[in-house]
Amino acid sequence: MSEIQALIVDDSSVMRKIVERALRQAGLESLVVHEAGSGVEGLELLKGRKVHLILSDINMPSMDGLEFVRQIQMQNLAPGVPVVMITTESSEEHVRQAIQAGAQGYIRKPFTAEQVKERVVSLLNPGR
Amino acid sequence: MLLRGVGASAIQAQRVHGERADMEAGMAFSLRDSLHLVSEPRNLDASVEEVFRMMLGEGPERVDGESVVPVGRESESVTAVVGFGGVLSGACVFRSSAALAVKIAAQMTGMDIRCMDDTVKDAIGEICNMLAGAWKGKVPGLSANCGLSVPAVISGRDYSLHVQSPEFQLEHIYRYHGGSFAVTIVCDNLL
Repeated sequence: MSEIQALIVDDSSVMRKIVERALRQAGLESLVVHEAGSGVEGLELLKGRKVHLILSDINMPSMDGLEFVRQIQMQNLAPGVPVVMITTESSEEHVRQAIQAGAQGYIRKPFTAEQVKERVVSLLNPGR
Repeated sequence: MLLRGVGASAIQAQRVHGERADMEAGMAFSLRDSLHLVSEPRNLDASVEEVFRMMLGEGPERVDGESVVPVGRESESVTAVVGFGGVLSGACVFRSSAALAVKIAAQMTGMDIRCMDDTVKDAIGEICNMLAGAWKGKVPGLSANCGLSVPAVISGRDYSLHVQSPEFQLEHIYRYHGGSFAVTIVCDNLL
């Protein structure tokens, strides 16, 4: 994959920048990042753009990350695109809910660039 | 500012997520019997160390007894609050001087930040959010049964935080990069 288009959804602009930096440190140099400050914004962006990877916070005002992922599935906005939840919530129950909603990966905040690399690279290259 | 409003929004978040796994399964979950685990001070130290090491690359030093904002001066400070709702209601509160908050935000983002702005408030809110999540993750049974609110951040020179007779309260002060900050866990109700 020459250029990776990633969508980062988080109500915190600081966290969006930190996730982007972690993706670049993970070796995704040819990365194009699209940012959304809410689930609603993220859905609008997906209607007009194809991405290869979606990373979303869970705990956001107006539309939380779980509902955002459910809507992606219901509206078939990103078929086959891996979704990774990035959140402070870490219980098995939260992981189960994220997977049930349609996420393929889960990263707990705080995180290191190495942890982001582990999750993201395996999802972008499932055969490796 | 009263903390109860923030706790209410955490309860709302938890209801939306449907997180009370044990209650959904018809089991009565109680933290009352494990109050000693909830109020264990080492959990707070470990949470602070974990968040600072992973997000800023270095941990702070615990220095209780120090004043976070110099007394007798018109110093600006920043306070972030994340509410807990569910089997535990209360809040995690982070407080530092504005100068230290600017340093923390600059180090966390890698950006050149020199004064208090929205990026600093956003960064401090996220630090508080991660501290709250890390702390509740260390108490068995609390993580899945207690929701977090989105962070609220206040900055200014003349304000105080009022907590109405909490069930328990932990406050630790840490030194970091020449300044100090306080992290407080306030529990006003435990089911």
